[in-house]
Amino acid sequence: MNENEKDVKIENEDDLFVPISQDMIQSEKIIAPRYSYWKSVFRIFFKKKINIFLIALFVLIFLIAFIGPIFAPYVYEENVNLLAAQHLSPSKALAFFKDKPELGPSIKWILGTGHIGNSIFYGIISSARTSLLLSTICAAINMVIGILLGAVWGYSKKFDAVMLVIYNIIANVPYLLLIMVLVYVIGSGFWSFVFALTVTGWLGIAYFFRTQVMIIRDREYSLASRCLGTPIPRVIGKNILPFLTSVIVTILATELPSYISFEVYLSYLGAGLSASIPSIGRMISQAQTGFTQYPWEFWPPVLVAAAITIILYLLGQNLADASDPRTHM
Amino acid sequence: MKVYMLKRILFSIFSLAVVVMIVMLLVYSLIDRKVIFQTDDIWNKKFLNDRTAYEYSQYEKFGYMTTTNYGAYLKDIYKDVEDYENDARYKEDKNAVKKKFTFLESDGISAFIDKYGYLQMDKFDSFLFNYYTEKKTKRVNEINKRIKEIENTKEPASEDEKRRLGNELAALKAELPVLQKQLDERNYDSDSQYVKDHELIKEVDVFLENESVRGFVEKYTAQGYKISYLEPVKYSNGKDKPGGSGQLYAIKERFVLWRLWDYVKGLITVETTNDVNDPNLTDRYIRFENDPNGWFAVVGSGTQHKYLLYFDDRFPFIHQNFIHLNLGVSHTRYRGEEITNVITTPQGSMKNKNIIAANGEIINTSINVHSVKYSQTAEVGEELKNMFADNYTSYQYNFDGLSRIENSFVCGIISTILAYLLGLPLGILMARQKEKFIDHLGNVYIIFIMAVPSLAYIFMFAVIGTTVFKLPYSFANSTRTIFGTQTKLLGYFLPIISLTLPSIGGLMKWMRRYMIDQMNSDYVKFARSQGLSEGEIYRTHISRNAMIYIVHGIPGAILGSLTGAIITERVYGLPGVGNLLTEAINRHDNAIIVACTVFYTTLSIISLILGDLLLAKYDPRISLSSSKGGGR
Repeated sequence: MNENEKDVKIENEDDLFVPISQDMIQSEKIIAPRYSYWKSVFRIFFKKKINIFLIALFVLIFLIAFIGPIFAPYVYEENVNLLAAQHLSPSKALAFFKDKPELGPSIKWILGTGHIGNSIFYGIISSARTSLLLSTICAAINMVIGILLGAVWGYSKKFDAVMLVIYNIIANVPYLLLIMVLVYVIGSGFWSFVFALTVTGWLGIAYFFRTQVMIIRDREYSLASRCLGTPIPRVIGKNILPFLTSVIVTILATELPSYISFEVYLSYLGAGLSASIPSIGRMISQAQTGFTQYPWEFWPPVLVAAAITIILYLLGQNLADASDPRTHM
Repeated sequence: MKVYMLKRILFSIFSLAVVVMIVMLLVYSLIDRKVIFQTDDIWNKKFLNDRTAYEYSQYEKFGYMTTTNYGAYLKDIYKDVEDYENDARYKEDKNAVKKKFTFLESDGISAFIDKYGYLQMDKFDSFLFNYYTEKKTKRVNEINKRIKEIENTKEPASEDEKRRLGNELAALKAELPVLQKQLDERNYDSDSQYVKDHELIKEVDVFLENESVRGFVEKYTAQGYKISYLEPVKYSNGKDKPGGSGQLYAIKERFVLWRLWDYVKGLITVETTNDVNDPNLTDRYIRFENDPNGWFAVVGSGTQHKYLLYFDDRFPFIHQNFIHLNLGVSHTRYRGEEITNVITTPQGSMKNKNIIAANGEIINTSINVHSVKYSQTAEVGEELKNMFADNYTSYQYNFDGLSRIENSFVCGIISTILAYLLGLPLGILMARQKEKFIDHLGNVYIIFIMAVPSLAYIFMFAVIGTTVFKLPYSFANSTRTIFGTQTKLLGYFLPIISLTLPSIGGLMKWMRRYMIDQMNSDYVKFARSQGLSEGEIYRTHISRNAMIYIVHGIPGAILGSLTGAIITERVYGLPGVGNLLTEAINRHDNAIIVACTVFYTTLSIISLILGDLLLAKYDPRISLSSSKGGGR
């Protein structure tokens, strides 16, 4: 209650309509529901029931891939001397290993055996772990470098001139050629593979992001901020990056699954991870020669790779949709 | 605009050079060069010095270094001497390197020669003294470290172990004062090896006493070569071990910039009438001639090829031999073949044709008359004598199949055209039916193509194609008789389908996206308010504007089909260019790797420039040069 209210005199108390007091300060305020960006994002995101299902599925795969290998250790060459165990279909494998419990529980053979008597099921679990690790690490490195550099690249004109020359040269090197030559040069261990995928992988993201930043840099409100003397890091952090959250998530949605596909692709070409690391790409490329003869070796890894990539892609797309403020109405 | 294009082309050439240099650096400097012998049978069959000599010759072929050997040098010196092979002096010179010299067996001398070469013997004393000082200091440190280690060891496990350690400690402690004394007095004369090295270095003088050996060493040291003497390895009875005879080489590493320069210099060659080096050939010309096996031809004399421009019944019907592209020579994958030939030579089985020979006779043969090259002495079998009138007799055959690049291009171009013909209308349809059944169905397909590894769906197409449609799976087994002729036509079906379906997905995605973006524009609302029909709005307004974004990628898609499709070609066994790079990497064929880089990079640069030009042509609002506001 304040002074203004007391000044108003009520002339006729019997009147049906009572004039309410005029609050000068309150009337200056704009009444709107409290808006929290991330809350709205998740409200929209979880409105779609399919997203909950996809997350549950992804968590399941994630847990199996990371906890599974503890209980189901995969040794690629464990049955290398057991010639009769090669290329066994699931039913034959179950029958074959029934009286050999020392070689593992029967669930191990539920998907049959591969070309040197290796368990397909355990192989897939360990390979899924490699694939998920690889894609997460590569995406994280490329995204962080790409977005940070892209933001500066888009904002600073001097930096832009230098980076454009570098980009125009490196973008001309066919990506596949570069990766294959690098793997050929530095070897095919897990970390050298990560290096090969990230050494120029960020460049495309940075370039894409640069263009997005440039568009927003020249918007009126950014111009106003700059006129008022806001320091550049603050303009980038407060004016530009929040606007680009949905762009970042969209990039993430295509980046994450792409490394899984790429690993498969490179393994098939003989430039994949080294033989000691279980990977989906290696399983597929080993099985592809006899994929009509021994389909149980070929299709399970393909389906797992497809499932992981589709889930990641769909989740990313839906999150990107939800993180666009225009859908928050 | 012209200035812009000129700048852009210059920059493109610059970046091409940088890219090739990066790849050359990667391939030639970072990879252990010994890997090229991993799959080499000849290397496995050679031993000792012969193996090293073979390695040098391979390194030279692969472009790592330039080498010369003593034998070639001797032949050059004695080339004026009649029957020099039996000349006594020649024999003596030749055997000078095969005598038993063992100076390289000493570490000190090989280190010295590595550093200073054979000619700076005055530096030997000081070098050897420093070398031994370093070696002995190192040894002293080592001994001290080891003594500490042994003294700190807790109770050894067994008696044996204890005794062994005790002995070692005693030996070390005995060695230490001797070394220390030598180092303190700066006098190593009590070291027998040091004295022996001084004896051995005299052998180098004996080795260089032979005039020819000395000449060889002096000549190539002056040119910056490193002299590599492969000492003879002998049995105790004085005979050489297999591959162990002494040899003398001069080697020089190639610097990456020179390698690049040599490569660029030889990249394009133009045939001239002075190409043939034959004094007997006096009549040199290039002229039009009537070609009995074609229409007319530009024929050269003195050029390498006879037919410089000719017509025949093979696509693209007009062929030229004026300009040649030399991408290098393959070493391991296609031993000794030129990479340009690997890409462009037709494959398949030989094809017979009726041709009109030079004397007017009609001959049924598989010889390609247009491929003839000059040979110094025309050696042709009797039955072909009447076919060639001149020295242009070195011929190739006609084949019924397509070349690698044609295979790739045929598949690529057909699938690109199909993809654009189907993908764009489907994208437009999805946009028009937004949020309806067709749109959802299309989205499922797009997500499938985007997310599933390409390898997986190519195999899926293969399974469906072979089981449901009974199409041949592997290209090699695809020969069928259609309309009475044997043809591999059916073999192209699955590769083309496997290339088309994914590109349709990509095009659908982008076309739909751009259409939807345009659908809410003001000009669309205006057109609607003017009473235009929906079909007209979509056809003439929205899709035209949405096409702006699509147009940019068209040149890339067309030129990209020249680079082949790696996975598709591999899965179906289609002999194309797509697998060239991966095969080269697996076989360590450096020349093909560099050639592929040049080829791919050039294509990607050209398609970017063409894409921009097409974009500027299609949309007049876009100006390529950065000067704003039009006018100039």
